[in-house]
Amino acid sequence: MSGITTVCFAASYAVALALELTRLMFRSSVRGVLLIGFAAAGFFAQTVYLIYRAHAAEMIPLSSAHEWYLLAAWMLVATYLYLSVFQFAVASGLFILPLTLALIAASRFASDRPIARSPAVQAWGAIHGVFWLLGAVAVMIGFVAGMMYLWQSYRIKHKVAPPRGLKLPSLERLERVNSRAIVVSALMAGVGFLSGLILNIVSHQTKQTEVPWTDPIVWHSGGLFGWLLAAALFSGLYLPARRGHKVAYLTVASFAFLAVFFALQLSGSTEHGGQGSPEIPTRSVSEDLWSPASLTLRVGIVGWKEFHT
Amino acid sequence: MKLQLIGCSHNSAALELRERLAFSTVQAGQALERWREKFPSAEAVLLSTCNRVEIYSAWDTDAVGPDHRQVAEFLAGFHGLNSCAILDNLFEQSGEAAVRHLFMVAASLDSMVLGEPQILSQVKQAYRLAQEHQSVGPLTHEMFQSALRVAKRIASETTIHQKRVSIASVAVGDCARDVFERFDDKQVLVIGAGQMAEEALRYLQDEGAQHVTIVNRNVDRAAAMVEQFGGRIAPWDELDEALVAADLVVGATGASEPIFSLERFQRLESRRFQRPLLILDLAVPRDFDAAIGNRLGVYLYSIDDLEWVCLRNRQERDGELPAAVSIIEEETRQFMESLHHRATGPIVQRLRRTWQGLRDRELDRLFHKLPNLGDIEREEITRAFERYVNKMLHPPLERIRDESRQGHPHGLLEALKRLFHLKD
Repeated sequence: MSGITTVCFAASYAVALALELTRLMFRSSVRGVLLIGFAAAGFFAQTVYLIYRAHAAEMIPLSSAHEWYLLAAWMLVATYLYLSVFQFAVASGLFILPLTLALIAASRFASDRPIARSPAVQAWGAIHGVFWLLGAVAVMIGFVAGMMYLWQSYRIKHKVAPPRGLKLPSLERLERVNSRAIVVSALMAGVGFLSGLILNIVSHQTKQTEVPWTDPIVWHSGGLFGWLLAAALFSGLYLPARRGHKVAYLTVASFAFLAVFFALQLSGSTEHGGQGSPEIPTRSVSEDLWSPASLTLRVGIVGWKEFHT
Repeated sequence: MKLQLIGCSHNSAALELRERLAFSTVQAGQALERWREKFPSAEAVLLSTCNRVEIYSAWDTDAVGPDHRQVAEFLAGFHGLNSCAILDNLFEQSGEAAVRHLFMVAASLDSMVLGEPQILSQVKQAYRLAQEHQSVGPLTHEMFQSALRVAKRIASETTIHQKRVSIASVAVGDCARDVFERFDDKQVLVIGAGQMAEEALRYLQDEGAQHVTIVNRNVDRAAAMVEQFGGRIAPWDELDEALVAADLVVGATGASEPIFSLERFQRLESRRFQRPLLILDLAVPRDFDAAIGNRLGVYLYSIDDLEWVCLRNRQERDGELPAAVSIIEEETRQFMESLHHRATGPIVQRLRRTWQGLRDRELDRLFHKLPNLGDIEREEITRAFERYVNKMLHPPLERIRDESRQGHPHGLLEALKRLFHLKD
């Protein structure tokens, strides 16, 4: 299991993305196998990486912001693999894989300092992290579907031939995904936000590290939840908002909110998730390679490494 | 003999022009009547489909037929248009090129959707209509009979017609599938009950459409469609209501003006709550104002908007073309040979008559001088003269046949006329 780092599975996904891009240029009978092969190899490596980290830290995989980003990317890749296997003709990778790579890149700048220590804080932290994670993934899937919808709609409206190999789902399906993504993300973000508030109160009471109420991330996450709730209510109560472009724009705007959330967290202007702390370890590929985690992981993935070399 | 084709097709003219020049069946009949009055010596068949308006005409070499400008004026005059506006958009082909074009059209090699079956019945209908209005003559008869035979030969000897494709099939299979995931829960409105409407409905049902409403001015035809495909009929004056309820609309009427103007659509729009609406306007002239396509949630496709889909279909089937094209070339060559050979018929007949006249006169003179000849001798002498005449005629006639394969043997025929004093 030597050498499993974020770079390894990011490289696998990058190759899969490059293969997706070749859809636009030529037809190939072996591309499907290669594409799924690289994505699956990366997914496997990422899974092992996350399991090892959780095991090594004796905590759940969501014990740091670093892992939160990687888990979000992992869920997107799982979605992508599902679509690749069951709807291979749809070029979903062109939309999902760039987001995945962006999340992995973000994870390298995120703190990997464990957030919660006491059992109570850890439980609320897990709820907070899991629900925000699900909410964020729902927003990102909605964003992907929204972008697909806007492109597909533009293409049909203006009678533009689809580029060779770039087949997208029907508008009806994309609209349905968009609508559901809004509702799911609002619910998940709601639970995530409320559990975050409770977590902060519990941390305060147990005299553990808490995020100040004036922290920008607190206000912004409240704003994001408010926006998602408003979008869900808007699309639920106002019939035309459930349809076509409107729902696609709502999901794209939700993603913009989420992107600002990520930017705030990564910029170091917040104490949320261990960011802004002077103890944040600076991560590098070489450190990853020689870290205890990597050394242990190297044992079991020799074959995988050979595949990559 | 002169064969001529003047018209416009999806390859040469935009839908805007084609729909202005399109003829309904009734109009086509009137146009043929008018043609006979105006150009009595020219045969004509008028082919008007959603992709083309073409007049095939023919006349004897001695007669005078209409030229490009006159045909343009005829078409423009019938539709109340300015002939200058259409003159440059009409293409012209004559002789062999016109025959090849008709063969290509009938075999659906010139169609937007390669191999679509509708065009053959449209060519048949055009020919039948010309027969009914007595504008067809021996040349156009020969030409269209050959075209129908060639189309059938291509259908049976190549794979070009194996996949069932048509404008309606690509409209449903490609465009509608991009908008809708499933059709069993969609409200489908079909306006019109003609061949195109039937074709579209057949494909929609293949895709699973169950809730179909047919609206047609002629209720009997709509009823016949309902009997065949199911669904329900809505009266013409409930068309607005049907449109409000519809998710997918097929426009396939023979109306000469758009049924839905932008204003009429806008009045209904708010009741749809921006629900996506796919309109497949397969009619020529169009049933929906093109500006409706700019409205929010509306995806409007007319025949010409399907061009990229048809192009892709054509590219996918390019491999099947060479076999069909080679049949077209072979048949065109044979048709032209037979046509040219037929053109030599009157001269050959005259030549034979002249020589047979000479033979008969010489025989009379001989038998008059030799009255004692018995029947057997007379018979032998008569046969000898016949053989002699035939042997003398054989080389020039053979030469004429050979020349006919290369084209019309004008020079040779003229030489024969002058050498043997053959008068018209």
